[in-house]
Amino acid sequence: MSPRPGFVLEVDRSTPPTLFWHGEGFRFERLPEGSRVIYPQEPIAAIADFDAAIRHALEHPLGASKPLSQLLFSGMRLTIAFDDISLPLPQMRAPDIRQRVIEAVLDEAAGAGVDDVVLIAALALHRRMTDDELRHALGSRVFDAFAPNGLLWQHDAEDPSGLVHLGMTDEGEDVEINRRAAESDLLVYVNINLVPMDGGHKSVATGLASYRSIRHHHNARTMQHSRSFMDRHNSELHTSNWRMGRLIKDAGVKIFQIETSMNLDTFPSQFGFLQKREWEWSLADRAGFHATRASLERTPPRLARQIFQSIRSPHGPTSIQAGEVEAVHDRTLENVFRQQLVSVEGQTDVLTMGLPYICPYNVNSIMNPILVACLGLGYFFNLYRGQPLVREGGVCIISHPTPWAFHPVHHPSYIDFFEQVLSDTTDPVEVEKRYEQAFATDPWYIHLYRTSYAYHGVHPFYMWYWCAHTLEHLGAVIIVGGDRAAVRRMGFRPATTLQDALEMAEDVVGRDPTVTHVHMPPVLMADVG
Amino acid sequence: MSIRLPRRIEEVVVRPTWPGTLPRTIEPRNLGVDYDTDWARSRLARAVRHAVTEGVTRPVVAALSNPTIFGAEHFEAINGPMIFAANHASHLDTSVVIASLPDRIRHRVVVAAAADYFFDRAWKAALWSLTLGTIPMERNKVDRKSADLAAQLIGDGWSVVIFPEGGRSPDGWGQEFRGGAAYLAKRCKVPVIPVHLRGVRPVLPKGGNTIRRHAVEVRFGDPLWPREDADESGRKEDARRFAARIERSVAVLADEAESDWWTARRRAASGATPEFRGPQASPWRRAWALPQSARRTRTDRPKSSTKPW
Amino acid sequence: MRALVVERLTHRFAAARAAALVAGSGSGIRIGPLRLADLEPPELPGPQWRRVTPLLSGICGSDLSTLDGASSRYFEDLVSFPFVPGHEVVGVLASGPEAGERVVVEPVLSCVVRGIEPLCRSCAAGRTGACERIAFGDLRPGLQTGYCADTSGGWSDDLVAHQAQLHRVPVELSDEDAVMVEPTACAIHAALAGGVVPGEQIVVIGAGTVGLLTIAALRHFTLPSVLIATAKYPVQKRFAEVLGADSVVKPSEIGRAVRRSTATLALSSSAGAIERLAGGADVVFDCVGTATSISDALEVVRPGGRIVLVGMPGMTRLDLAPLWQREVALVGTYAYGTEHLPEGSRSTFELALDLVGELSLGRLVSAHYPLDRYEEAVRHAASAGRRGSVKVVFDLRRQDPAWRRVAEQARPAGRAAKRGAVEATA
Repeated sequence: MSPRPGFVLEVDRSTPPTLFWHGEGFRFERLPEGSRVIYPQEPIAAIADFDAAIRHALEHPLGASKPLSQLLFSGMRLTIAFDDISLPLPQMRAPDIRQRVIEAVLDEAAGAGVDDVVLIAALALHRRMTDDELRHALGSRVFDAFAPNGLLWQHDAEDPSGLVHLGMTDEGEDVEINRRAAESDLLVYVNINLVPMDGGHKSVATGLASYRSIRHHHNARTMQHSRSFMDRHNSELHTSNWRMGRLIKDAGVKIFQIETSMNLDTFPSQFGFLQKREWEWSLADRAGFHATRASLERTPPRLARQIFQSIRSPHGPTSIQAGEVEAVHDRTLENVFRQQLVSVEGQTDVLTMGLPYICPYNVNSIMNPILVACLGLGYFFNLYRGQPLVREGGVCIISHPTPWAFHPVHHPSYIDFFEQVLSDTTDPVEVEKRYEQAFATDPWYIHLYRTSYAYHGVHPFYMWYWCAHTLEHLGAVIIVGGDRAAVRRMGFRPATTLQDALEMAEDVVGRDPTVTHVHMPPVLMADVG
Repeated sequence: MSIRLPRRIEEVVVRPTWPGTLPRTIEPRNLGVDYDTDWARSRLARAVRHAVTEGVTRPVVAALSNPTIFGAEHFEAINGPMIFAANHASHLDTSVVIASLPDRIRHRVVVAAAADYFFDRAWKAALWSLTLGTIPMERNKVDRKSADLAAQLIGDGWSVVIFPEGGRSPDGWGQEFRGGAAYLAKRCKVPVIPVHLRGVRPVLPKGGNTIRRHAVEVRFGDPLWPREDADESGRKEDARRFAARIERSVAVLADEAESDWWTARRRAASGATPEFRGPQASPWRRAWALPQSARRTRTDRPKSSTKPW
Repeated sequence: MRALVVERLTHRFAAARAAALVAGSGSGIRIGPLRLADLEPPELPGPQWRRVTPLLSGICGSDLSTLDGASSRYFEDLVSFPFVPGHEVVGVLASGPEAGERVVVEPVLSCVVRGIEPLCRSCAAGRTGACERIAFGDLRPGLQTGYCADTSGGWSDDLVAHQAQLHRVPVELSDEDAVMVEPTACAIHAALAGGVVPGEQIVVIGAGTVGLLTIAALRHFTLPSVLIATAKYPVQKRFAEVLGADSVVKPSEIGRAVRRSTATLALSSSAGAIERLAGGADVVFDCVGTATSISDALEVVRPGGRIVLVGMPGMTRLDLAPLWQREVALVGTYAYGTEHLPEGSRSTFELALDLVGELSLGRLVSAHYPLDRYEEAVRHAASAGRRGSVKVVFDLRRQDPAWRRVAEQARPAGRAAKRGAVEATA
């Protein structure tokens, strides 16, 4: 049976309550009559024989590139870079896609007699991965062959001797990337494309770059002019990365890009009800949902977090292509859109969304208020093509507990950002002007980024810039069920129930507004006409 | 906070100081190769070891690895003492070998163990001598004392288990066989039985800190008698060349374990047996080429987690 | 006269201590050593002594410690029983040519007050707070008025003070401003003892009365680059910001706040909590005086820095290893005396009189109680922060119209209107 496409439901009196994600939990909400709910597409079938598909892709590259076997020779310097813990979400069941692709690449390398191989986790300014996380992503075979010999590296954007400056683009942007990657005979990049923002030139130009490079496109101005950053052809973020990527290519760095796309089979069978339409829930689904909800009520937050973070997703790969960066990426995006695009007619006054417990920056960690804002106003809001789902001056209502809680090891600079910066101003431009320099160069944050498992000192700023376009566009942001003090600190309005939130929204957009709810995750991208 | 013992107890427990005006002879401490293991072969000690072997070692080995034994018939006919030469990848190798030997030999066997590791402290030396019947041996050279002891024991009818690699494999591939076993066999004119242990490394590899269950296979090969006559090249076989012959036999057993007996035989005949010591390549490629039975499974427990919960 | 009096009744002290340990400071007031009594007014010890009728008397942290039985035993030889507490006093002169004039009492009973000649070394140098004859002379032992059996104290209708202790109150100050003079003098003395060099980073731990006044004094007399304060309660936070703190944080957050402002490295545990800073603030003023506050101070002071202990401590268990390794100076400051400023030497009390007027520090007085509601008053003072208050005072201004006329005659009419407004809040 072929998967049903995504569609827009119009809510009437017979419509059952809609499932809203609410952090580590769920709520049933009754949306007003006449609201629209956008449902994602059902998962496309995964590739049956993925290993064969990998081998095929390696031997039949796209664009002006030779097959991998012809690019490998004995005595060469090979570097394999791969996407870090931010992808995929939730974490995949073993074997991870990266494990399968890298094993195939290493089989070829072993066959060709390549001795000098290094694996690099392309962190950019994210936190280092723990051994367990690396082992999960790469598999035991790869991990045990490389880690004990010191050949499994994590990109260090603050190591002056580990970076090389390749030049400046026409727009005056520094291009500075990992030295080992730049000076290799071949750089193989293994990517997972979860959302359309990932991949392409961004893999190397951001993933293996330094702060000096990244700040040129990770700033308030660029993000305000990215409408949206999920749509690469209308995104300043991508335009800048493409410039840098072309400079990297012209500087002689040989990149063999391997990109994969995944289907939306996001949740394992015991949570199957999260992917089904509410009126199609079977008896087992309804029982499962209520049992889960009942047991969650009795579970302390820490344990609930642990349980949710241990969910492993049955994502299946839907495509794999390899070769030249730009050709590969266009094919990948086709496949991503094939799974994720849903056409929607017209904009709405009020957009509602329920946020789950996980975003790319809190894997195995705590979702702090800044990440809640980034997930809702950054990622979810920007998953559109054409024009935003909400009209200008409209309201976005988010459902999430937004606890005033921060992970002290993973997010130390976020704590200071929330205490010091946001209590002063919430305007992204002002935030950048007054505080970014101090946080980006603070020696303690740099120390923790390099030696502990902490996000770089400047990272919370990027989370805030991710909302820049949204904050300009919207009239108000209301968070339902969140910690009141935390919500206010960010400049948003707290509400206890969805009904209260809709009433508050009427003050901004007028009476009887149109309401649209995006039923995410699984991820969908709205093609707004 | 310091605790003061009551005076009476302190006087008993704490050793008195030696007067400074008297010369003092330092008592010799017999550890390492000098440790005397004779007491561990007394009747009482042997009885204890018998009980430990049957009551602890064998059941534990069976539970962890359930070893399948091949080729024990090769040395059924031999009556006297023998030398068992096995490959070495895990601390559990000794227990597996002892548990796999036939009854008549199992309780009349000593194990040569590295003097610097197993005999450096008195309590360790006592423990291993009693429970496993170890005797100290130098890793790198043939020490006169340990060689004499081993020869004497063989003369008394004890079989010896030796790991000619000298230590556990660091990466899963074999290491060069040293001459100790070969020298002893030549000196005492007893045969060497090559032994291959497959699948013990995943249970507890070198550098690991967790024990996991994994199926194990123990293969005994044809007995190798020391040669008196000259070999093909016209030279007499010395200890080193005999050691190489033993290594080749173990390599053939390893091939047999991974493929099958006939393939191993054919490859042995044509000189195509896979390298016992692994490919000459960078460490990652050596690790890449390991057979499944020698790869570490996910052994180590994670170190302090960074989770706040 | 009515007076609250503390008698040497060991069992009552013990009972109060037990109650304080179990139910918090101030809870032992009923069973403690303090009681309301009708006493003979004190005699004038000499010709230079004056009788003073208190108007307002403050309740201080050290008073609460005494009533809880938690004061260090060090003070036992420096007080004489039975005594009337109350050393933060504004009153009127009861007799003589200046009768009706308002004065504040400088409570330290130094050589001059005790009629001792020649003066001891400290008194001769103007450091009356460090007087070495505190238990000798014409009077019975007593650190200050309010700890001496011969002088009575502020928590009564009548006390006696030596001329040298009296300072005239300028007319523009309200009674509430004047009652804050004594604690302000302590704060000024401590602020100047800190030796703050312009441009240094300062931390003030604690935002009760002592902490808030220290912040005010620091802002007025020194030039720090950053002044960070800790406060537990919202009313304290508000006052701290108004009086000049750059940033006010919760006590548990002080490590992180100082790390941010000094941009220093830190040693953190594996769970991410900050344990010690590599650098730190230049001077830290501890206005609380518990083991926790002193360890917090040690945590955030830089190597070679200085911790000034402003709040009165007691027996404390402390790990001094950081103090030793980082060459930190821990200095105590007590009371007041003479301050040597670049523009000349002045008595701390005079400086305090100026400062209370300039900053209208009377607004820190949050509650007035009559003497007979002393139990509520002490309980309120003990939980002031939590109840949204700063300073709690005894209000001894009598409602007796005859008396009021006498008092008001001595003051210009303009003052009456302000007093009326203040009385409305009492």
